[in-house]
Amino acid sequence: MSPVAARSRSIVRRILWMHVVAVGTVAILVPLSLYLLLVAETSSLHRDSMREQADAIAEHLTAGPDGRWRLDLPEALQDLYSEAYGRYIYAIVDRDGVVLFSSHNADQPIFPVVPGTSGPAFLQVQRPFSTISGTRVPRTVGDRTVYVEVAENLSHRDVLIDDIVSNFIPRVAWITVPILLLLLGIETHVVRRVFRPVEEASQRAREISPRRTDIRLSLADIPSEIAPLVVAVNEALDRLDHGFRVQREFTADAAHELRTPITILRTRIDTLGDARLAEPLRRDLETMTRVVTQLLEMAEVENMAAGDEEADLRAVTADVIAFLVPLAIAEGRSIALSGVEVPVPVAGRGEVIARAIRNLIENAIRHTPAGTVVEVVVEADGSVQICDEGPGIDEAERELLFRRFWRRDRKRSGGAGLGLSIVQRIVELYGGSVAVSNRCGGGACFSLRFRPGLSADDASARHPAAVPLSGAGLPS
Amino acid sequence: MRVLIVEDNEELGRLVVGGLAKAGHPAEHAATAGEARHMLAVETYDAVVLDLGLPDADGLTILREMRARQDPTAILVLTARAGVDDRVEGLRSGADDYLVKPFAFEELVARLEALSRRPRAMQGLTLVVANLSLDTAGKQAFVDEVPHVLSARELAVLEMLMRRKGRVVPKKLVEDQLFGAGGDLSSNAVEVYVHRLRRQLAECGARVTIHTVRGVGYMIAEAKA
Repeated sequence: MSPVAARSRSIVRRILWMHVVAVGTVAILVPLSLYLLLVAETSSLHRDSMREQADAIAEHLTAGPDGRWRLDLPEALQDLYSEAYGRYIYAIVDRDGVVLFSSHNADQPIFPVVPGTSGPAFLQVQRPFSTISGTRVPRTVGDRTVYVEVAENLSHRDVLIDDIVSNFIPRVAWITVPILLLLLGIETHVVRRVFRPVEEASQRAREISPRRTDIRLSLADIPSEIAPLVVAVNEALDRLDHGFRVQREFTADAAHELRTPITILRTRIDTLGDARLAEPLRRDLETMTRVVTQLLEMAEVENMAAGDEEADLRAVTADVIAFLVPLAIAEGRSIALSGVEVPVPVAGRGEVIARAIRNLIENAIRHTPAGTVVEVVVEADGSVQICDEGPGIDEAERELLFRRFWRRDRKRSGGAGLGLSIVQRIVELYGGSVAVSNRCGGGACFSLRFRPGLSADDASARHPAAVPLSGAGLPS
Repeated sequence: MRVLIVEDNEELGRLVVGGLAKAGHPAEHAATAGEARHMLAVETYDAVVLDLGLPDADGLTILREMRARQDPTAILVLTARAGVDDRVEGLRSGADDYLVKPFAFEELVARLEALSRRPRAMQGLTLVVANLSLDTAGKQAFVDEVPHVLSARELAVLEMLMRRKGRVVPKKLVEDQLFGAGGDLSSNAVEVYVHRLRRQLAECGARVTIHTVRGVGYMIAEAKA
């Protein structure tokens, strides 16, 4: 495996890299072998032709009774070997290399004579400006032997085959390069296509979290080589899902186990009759209750799965305020709602969204000074702001704020520091967001933003004038 | 008011029965679903406090059985399950109210009294907040037992608020009460009536405050000393 392929962890890249190597090798080998085949074939054709011509000349060679050789070539053959044409030449040479007949009145044999050769031979000589290639065939009449030499000038303009062969690499072989590149392109597309279902499965797997354990990877279109992995992952998810279910059941059990003794204690204190003793005990118990409630709420929210429910953010917020206002008034604070007066449909379950808003308003009541008002604003874009007039939140603390069990003032009792984590979980669950800022006049502002519900479009169509009211129509 | 407490925890059952007796409501205790069924068959109660986690059956089963035989007894469901689903399930099954453990005992008593009052509300009764009282049948308001004259609309608003003492009355409800549903008056009109009511109550020395919960509604409560 090449170093690049070894480094790359992508199967697609590995396949393509190996393919590039293979294509490169083929791009060299295919033209080369074609060229060699072509050369072999043309030289074989050339040899056959030369031998046939030598045999044809030998047919017309006779030995006279006086021991002299005679050559009577027909006219057609004489034209073939004419000097004017110049493509073919022949010579008949005796044993000692003496030229008996020749097509061009030469006194030298075409090929240098090598003594002792008796069989047919194929030979080639270089002349200035030309390459002469041909054969030498022995011809025996009686006990005398002569050699018939026939050769072809390969540089002659009529020798097409040789031109084709010699031009093959520069003129023809390059065509294999674009063809192979095209093949590589097709291959890339095919490989990507094959791996697309795997890509999609990975995308889906990315959505799996403790709150989304119901997701399973689809086996449709998955290549059979990868299918076992997908099946194994789905089985692992089944086991995980089971684990989470056990945890959820444990949470329900824990709720019952913890709440009953606290309830007994609470009822015992409430029916005590001695108010001076009961009051501090009740306060302690309330802290304990809040911690237990927050822990259980956190567990519940963590295990919750988002469905396709929808809620009216304005109505949910108004309900939460109505629920909390008696408590706020008892502590000398108040809560006010402003913003749009028409339904604001958002994605999410009303009771769960209410929990996030309740946590933020409870916090605001705790931090705003006595005599002030917690301002809650619902906007048509699916956001709700909860602003207090407390000390605000330092830039440095904003990161820590949503961490579990983090509290600004550790000495202050009142909760497990889980409230804001619960808020964050809830907005995450429904694909919303939470942000915190300080008001310029002092105090903190928490802003929750939810995704618009499916009926949001209809709602805005029904209420084209859904603009925030300037307070004119609100009681002051 | 006779109350049946269905609660598997003996200790809690005993404490609630004792506390209710102290508050003037005779109560009895059933520790299992079987016991509760038996007692409901032989006795009549004004209200049932029903715990959902019972050893022999789910409390919701008893709830559904009672509603199936058209038993009108007020049912307050009591549970350790604070989950959203459980709450919705309880109310859907016919519970009149819902209280999550742990609860304040006063809250339990107040809710039970509110439940038992609900069907008799039409007959008229006297609502009380601090030194202010309202005879809903005679349409008359009293401060320290001294009658005071209020307009019919002011009385209607006051009755709404006093019926939900300590809880918010949505602004929409007050509007509908004053001007009829679908009225096209500006919300300022409600505020005008509430403002007038506030001034009159203050003038005759009622120790109550009508809080405006801006954007939500109104709430009456005892004035702070």
